Amino acid sequence: MRHRKLRRAVGVILSAVLFVGTLAGCSGKGETQTDSPTGEESLKESNRTQESGERVMGRFLEADVEFPAPIGNVYDMKKQSDGSVRIIISNADNGHMEVWDSKDAGANWEKAYDFPDELQNEDVGYVDEAVLSAEGQAVCVFSNTEGDGVKPMLYLLSKEGNASKVDFELPERTQNDKQSTVSSSFEVNEDDLKDDQNEPSEEDESSADGELEDAKSSEAEESEDDFTVGNLITEIQFLGNDQVLVSDLTDNIYQVNLSDGSVKYTYEFGDGEQSVQTPYIVGNKMITVGGGGVSIYDTQTGEAQAADEALQNNVFKNGMIHAVDTTDGGESFYYLDGGLYHYKFGGSIMEQLIDGEMSSLGAPAFYPIALTMMDDQNLLVAANDPYAVSGLGISLLKYTYSADTPAKPEKELKVYSLYENKEIGQAINSYQKKNTDVYVNYQVGLTEENAMTVSDALKTLTTEIMAGKGPDVLVLDGMPVDTYIEKGILLDLSSMIAEDEDNYFSHILGTYKTEKDLCAVPARFMIPMAQGGSAYYNPGEDFDTFTARKDLLKNMDPKSVVEKFWYSCGAAWKKEDGALDQAKITDFLTKLKNAFGEYDSSTEDVGTKVFGSTITGGPETVDERRPETLGWGELELAGGILNVNIGLCNKMDYGMIEAILKRVENGNFGLMPGQAENVFVPTMIMGISSKSTQTEAAEQFVKYLFAKDAQIISQSGGFPVQREAFLSVIDGHQYEGQEDLSMAFSGAGMAEGDYISYMAKPTPQEEIDKFTELVESLTTPALQDDVIKETVIEQGTKVLKGEQTPEEAVNEIMQKVKIYIAE
Amino acid sequence: MKLCRRLKSTSRNNKRDLRGILWILPSFAGVLVFYLLPYADVVRRSFLGAVDNQFKGIDNYRLVLDNMAFQLAVKNTVRFTFICIPALILIALVCAVVLQKSRYGGVIKSAFLMPMALPAVSVALMWRLLFHSQGILNDWLSALDINGKDWMNNSSAFWVLVGTYIWKNLGYDIVLWMAGLSGISENIYEAARVDGASEWQCFLKITLPNLKSSLYIITVLSFLNSFKAFRESYLVAGDYPHESIYMMQNLFNNWFRDFSFDKMAAAAVLESAVLLVFIVLFQRALDGKDYV
Repeated sequence: MRHRKLRRAVGVILSAVLFVGTLAGCSGKGETQTDSPTGEESLKESNRTQESGERVMGRFLEADVEFPAPIGNVYDMKKQSDGSVRIIISNADNGHMEVWDSKDAGANWEKAYDFPDELQNEDVGYVDEAVLSAEGQAVCVFSNTEGDGVKPMLYLLSKEGNASKVDFELPERTQNDKQSTVSSSFEVNEDDLKDDQNEPSEEDESSADGELEDAKSSEAEESEDDFTVGNLITEIQFLGNDQVLVSDLTDNIYQVNLSDGSVKYTYEFGDGEQSVQTPYIVGNKMITVGGGGVSIYDTQTGEAQAADEALQNNVFKNGMIHAVDTTDGGESFYYLDGGLYHYKFGGSIMEQLIDGEMSSLGAPAFYPIALTMMDDQNLLVAANDPYAVSGLGISLLKYTYSADTPAKPEKELKVYSLYENKEIGQAINSYQKKNTDVYVNYQVGLTEENAMTVSDALKTLTTEIMAGKGPDVLVLDGMPVDTYIEKGILLDLSSMIAEDEDNYFSHILGTYKTEKDLCAVPARFMIPMAQGGSAYYNPGEDFDTFTARKDLLKNMDPKSVVEKFWYSCGAAWKKEDGALDQAKITDFLTKLKNAFGEYDSSTEDVGTKVFGSTITGGPETVDERRPETLGWGELELAGGILNVNIGLCNKMDYGMIEAILKRVENGNFGLMPGQAENVFVPTMIMGISSKSTQTEAAEQFVKYLFAKDAQIISQSGGFPVQREAFLSVIDGHQYEGQEDLSMAFSGAGMAEGDYISYMAKPTPQEEIDKFTELVESLTTPALQDDVIKETVIEQGTKVLKGEQTPEEAVNEIMQKVKIYIAE
Repeated sequence: MKLCRRLKSTSRNNKRDLRGILWILPSFAGVLVFYLLPYADVVRRSFLGAVDNQFKGIDNYRLVLDNMAFQLAVKNTVRFTFICIPALILIALVCAVVLQKSRYGGVIKSAFLMPMALPAVSVALMWRLLFHSQGILNDWLSALDINGKDWMNNSSAFWVLVGTYIWKNLGYDIVLWMAGLSGISENIYEAARVDGASEWQCFLKITLPNLKSSLYIITVLSFLNSFKAFRESYLVAGDYPHESIYMMQNLFNNWFRDFSFDKMAAAAVLESAVLLVFIVLFQRALDGKDYV
């Protein structure tokens, strides 16, 4: 009784705590960022200024560097000990290699010298790589093509450009090395290569005139040795002013003295897991990144050093190393996938200085060549960039730190897509470059990391939109567009599009046009197409005739067959009341089964990996094409594995198409036969959320996506809807003046040693006109409904595999779709 | 004097009442904030448009009641509930009575609880392995020269779902029944036996009446757990499973994905009304005094 009051008080306090604790979950703490600080936040405190409240100031601003000569390629760029910057380029006009200097960090340039003639004589060889030292010397790898095969040589150029050969012999590869290389990549017969470049045969001459060089049979019959080359130098880096690091095909790195060509140390990475990609220099240390992680070596002693865990973790977290440079003060800067970082050995974190998402550094098609730190507030970057301002495929950019600019733009525009869209990523980059006050936050719903299902991603999106935290701009590919329009999720874009509708393929633009509004607009499109010999395909024939050929689709993956025909047939199935036409689906599966024949799992298409190469130099490309595209099966068609190639056409490479068709009898290409006619597939479908609080900024961004600048971006996402950009994408103008550029492709669908080879060339005008006319004729959008599509593919695949009859499959489809449509 | 005492007593009762309210206030506030107010919002939304929030009267209700998917989901949910719950309760009761008399009842009881500890994802994976057209079950059947089938894509999917639900919840219900059984005094049974009652009569006249309060709790909990069967079904068959296992949760899930909040709200109000009626009737049937 004595403690009654005390007990009451305790009870009341505990109740209050319980009550407050219960409501604690309602606070807005959920928005707290758990990620590590962003780059802007981690900028050096000395450079920071606090304006109003929490606003962090200071950002690197990007600008294009004006160069007096047209740059065709950049080999290296380096800050000199006197404070100037030196660059080695090849002149796009004449292909000559030149060395230029700038004393004002890229504002003005003066030519220092032309590369000596002996290194520019195409009859003797060509320069593969060239690097600069801080004292102005250059070392280049000269691939000598005299005699048998290619022989790499090192040449040292003095500051004034006087060349002298370095007495270094690259060790030969052993047979084992050769075999491992042959099995992992496609190699071009270097004799052919030389012939292609310098001594065109009759066939080659005809290629230059527009005819295909036939590389089919003779090369395939030659022995394997003819297709291998000796050891080659893959990378080279200057170490100080008197040594270079040379890496070769065997994954060894040689530390070479330039004075006498002797090898001071050899770093061996023969083990596949440890294979080295590129060595980078930080002071006296060499960093290599391979399958085994980041390794550090002391170049003074040649010994491996203890692993730097923080560096390793940060490199894995922020992406691959693209370039490393060190300032005069000994500070090291790393260009990774995520942007520019500063790191000191032994440190715990990498400071992000430039966010890749807010600059060109993180653009999908930006492939860096050189990073040059002028000081810790100014830097130059040279990169391969197909969307460079110069239009020549090379960007030379300068980044300058501005203490008065907010670290992150005040305006944030959220863009959401279900699947990663490379065109959007590239367009965002260009847009931000032009609109420095806007930060475009691009979010992708389905990534490898989150392993979500489409349904889960859509539900998360629904929650965010309804909570007012959703995206401003939606890329609607894979989403229920019609439902979103019906529910009023999307704003009307008709006034925005109406301004210059004539410049677009209006029939494609108006795919989702209703009597009232236009809420979703495709920025791109693909076309279901087919190619093959006249025995199996003739342009213009109908679905019945096409599929009446027994075993027409043999050796194809059953799932991809159903998916590809879904595009050309699905649009014919939907009845006016929204239900599906059961008879047409039965007919579809029955005829498809007839054309597919008996299923043989041993010959199932396991996915094509295409190895490609530009014979006249340039990086080797490995192109993993999307299974639903026409490109997926073209090498199998050329290799005779497929009778006909079908799929979505998303790009125009006339040389390739012609080369493929040359391999089949009376080859031709055109629209893919289907139950619906003149079908196109709308892609990159843009919409603006009706819940967006920044509709003006969102409209401005979407408008940009339909402007020529953004439309010409082409990364296999489809053809642009803007006419001018469309022509620019299909005309092959990038091959103008490059008549000696020979392309070669091989793949899993071709016999060993066999490859497709053709001379790159612009698309002939008559083909451009023909293709444009074909696009003009497209009137029917493919059925865009992922739920129905998945159901049809699942059941259709079972039919082609012989696991069920078309009737059983159709019953299954109708049952599931009936519920879906009823919902 | 009497009046004064009565007033004092009334005042003390009022104080006690107030004190009681004070103690339940935190919990009630939670229920209010997290259940009652959102529910009121759902009721409000059931009369509005999905995104534009325009008043639609009873259009949403009409739309939902005419909807074939809703009708199918209701039919399947009711069928599932009326098959599963009685079956589960009866099987669990039989097991509990047997285990109660067994020396190893405690150990076996724990074994029955194991399925509850398994994550839904693991159960779903096991389902796939077992019931796929090329799964383990069909392998076993083919070894016995019996043709297998795609269990999850025909009407057998419903019975797979029923079986899984019972398998997973049996242990939990056994524990609840055993708790109820242990609360019955042994003296009553002894007295009955002295009077010549058989075991069956003891079960009917003593055990069952004394388990009334447990029955209410077990029924309600089983009913609520029946909603969780959706997780496994969803993980195995996705948004659109075979029509025999297309439940209310599938429908709500898909409506949410497609911004059909109007239909969702109307269907939720209808469902909650039905549930409320069911619970009240069930309470009355079991005679409220025993279990409240």
